[in-house]
Amino acid sequence: MASWAVRKLEDRLFVVAVVLGSALALAPLAHALAVTLYNGLSTMARAGLGFFVNPPPTPYSASLGGVAPALVGSLLLLALALPPSAFLGLLLAVFTNEFPGSRAAALVEVGARAFTSVPTVILSMVAYSLLVVPTRSYSALAGAFALTAASLPYSYTAFSSALRMVPEMYREAAYSIGMSRWTTVWRVLVPIARRGIASGVLMTLTRILGETAALLFAVGALRYVVPLNPLGPVDALPLLIFDYALSPYKLFHEVAWGAAALLLIISLALFALSKVVVKGVRL
Amino acid sequence: MSAPVGEMLSEKDKIFYFSLLPPALTTLGLLALIVSTIGAKAALVLPQALTILAANVWDPENERYGLLAPVLGTLVVASIAGAVSLALGLPLTLAVAELLRGRLGSVLQTLLEMASAFPTVVIGLWSARYLAPFLSENVMKPLYSSFGFIPTFSCRPLGGYSLLTAGLAIGFSVVPYTASIMIESYRLIPSTYREACYGIGATRYETARILVSLARPAIAGSVLLGVARAMGETTIAAMTVGNAMNISACLFEPSYTVPALIAAQFGNANLYRYAEPVLYLAALVVLALALALSAVGFKLVSGWRVRIVG
Repeated sequence: MASWAVRKLEDRLFVVAVVLGSALALAPLAHALAVTLYNGLSTMARAGLGFFVNPPPTPYSASLGGVAPALVGSLLLLALALPPSAFLGLLLAVFTNEFPGSRAAALVEVGARAFTSVPTVILSMVAYSLLVVPTRSYSALAGAFALTAASLPYSYTAFSSALRMVPEMYREAAYSIGMSRWTTVWRVLVPIARRGIASGVLMTLTRILGETAALLFAVGALRYVVPLNPLGPVDALPLLIFDYALSPYKLFHEVAWGAAALLLIISLALFALSKVVVKGVRL
Repeated sequence: MSAPVGEMLSEKDKIFYFSLLPPALTTLGLLALIVSTIGAKAALVLPQALTILAANVWDPENERYGLLAPVLGTLVVASIAGAVSLALGLPLTLAVAELLRGRLGSVLQTLLEMASAFPTVVIGLWSARYLAPFLSENVMKPLYSSFGFIPTFSCRPLGGYSLLTAGLAIGFSVVPYTASIMIESYRLIPSTYREACYGIGATRYETARILVSLARPAIAGSVLLGVARAMGETTIAAMTVGNAMNISACLFEPSYTVPALIAAQFGNANLYRYAEPVLYLAALVVLALALALSAVGFKLVSGWRVRIVG
């Protein structure tokens, strides 16, 4: 074995390497956060409150306009996609938590795992061919279908880990006073896991709001009109950022930064909220 | 393992079981729906699949298609992203789970979770505007002028939109995911191993080396899961890879990945007879690869977890 001096040096170098590697991992994301906020907030400052109520500019217009249609579209998509994703995710989680040994639960588990690796752009193609083509229209509903599928594995995973955190003694206590499995689940286990479930809902929500690829061929990017019809085309913040970033116009790039900062702030706020909600779980 | 559920459950529980069964099987139903839809749409060109995969041309006007560049590009980009997620995920894992086992460690872990809440389109925008020019000036040009004789560095970088940029950008975005699986696995190693190492006078470095070698299958599995995710990443790829039907050994040249090709071409594909089926075929290829890789990755990770705990 090497001498103590050499081993000590190795140890120091190891610590330095780990610190450097970790810093290198976080640096790109920290820089992305900083420049997005910087560029985006300066766009918003120039656009003023109009950023939230105006439609986007045309390539050579004088003012920056806003992102109102995309913002409302994102909220509409969220309203359509979150309930089915959260509801299905919860049923799945309850099922695998209640009947862990069953063949069906094993299948659900495998299905959920496989689902996490389906590229979301493929979900968009499926929504296009199953919903957009037959109805002859891009629609918020088609987008919501793709978003539900894209977020389902996340809501399922979050809920099932929330349910698994509930100590077994609560189940035993419920059974010992004669509660059925059904009542135990909905009256005891789910209420006890409510903070974890709430945080799972928030994480699913973040996932839905930030998803771009699932919307590409489903929603039709109705860019200048505030959408109100779930059966008609809509725009969404991530889609607007994507299209405007790839466009050749400087004005569009500025709007893209503004929208990116807005989306990032919302995502981080939801993340922080999900952490706050979970805190104080004392079992 | 899979005892017939019916025999152990009461009547009431059976009703519960069967009432939850249909929604529980929706994931599998959806999965089957996805695969069959993509397969059915690609059916028109399936007989020529091999020819299409081996050719490299995108000329919808003349109905000539080939997917070689995007398929190779996908593999290259996903491999770079996998390498990044190993090279950066391992230090993060060791920092969180080995060196900083207190408040600082949990702060770092929270930062990681926060990073995974970043929308990919924001990372894509940042990569296109900052990472690409930065890499072009500070990495690609020096590498080209000093090591231009190596094929992977043998072309003059233009603007930065390239396989390397896409691979690194997707790698950065996948690191939090890969690292979280590594950390979760690493924490499962019973502390008796660590105590045994320190007990015979091993340094932190020697201990970490032993524990990492113990966790090797889980680490490999996490990287595979990261590669599977990187493969399907669309937004970042479309914003950084340069969108060119170009096959080159050089990593500094613009090329395509399958998701980037789909993002760029699917919108207008219905104008042509075969463009759509070819794109569905491309999707099928990536779907199959991603599912296979993630199945192996999950198997490695969960198999290792059972062994290390049990």
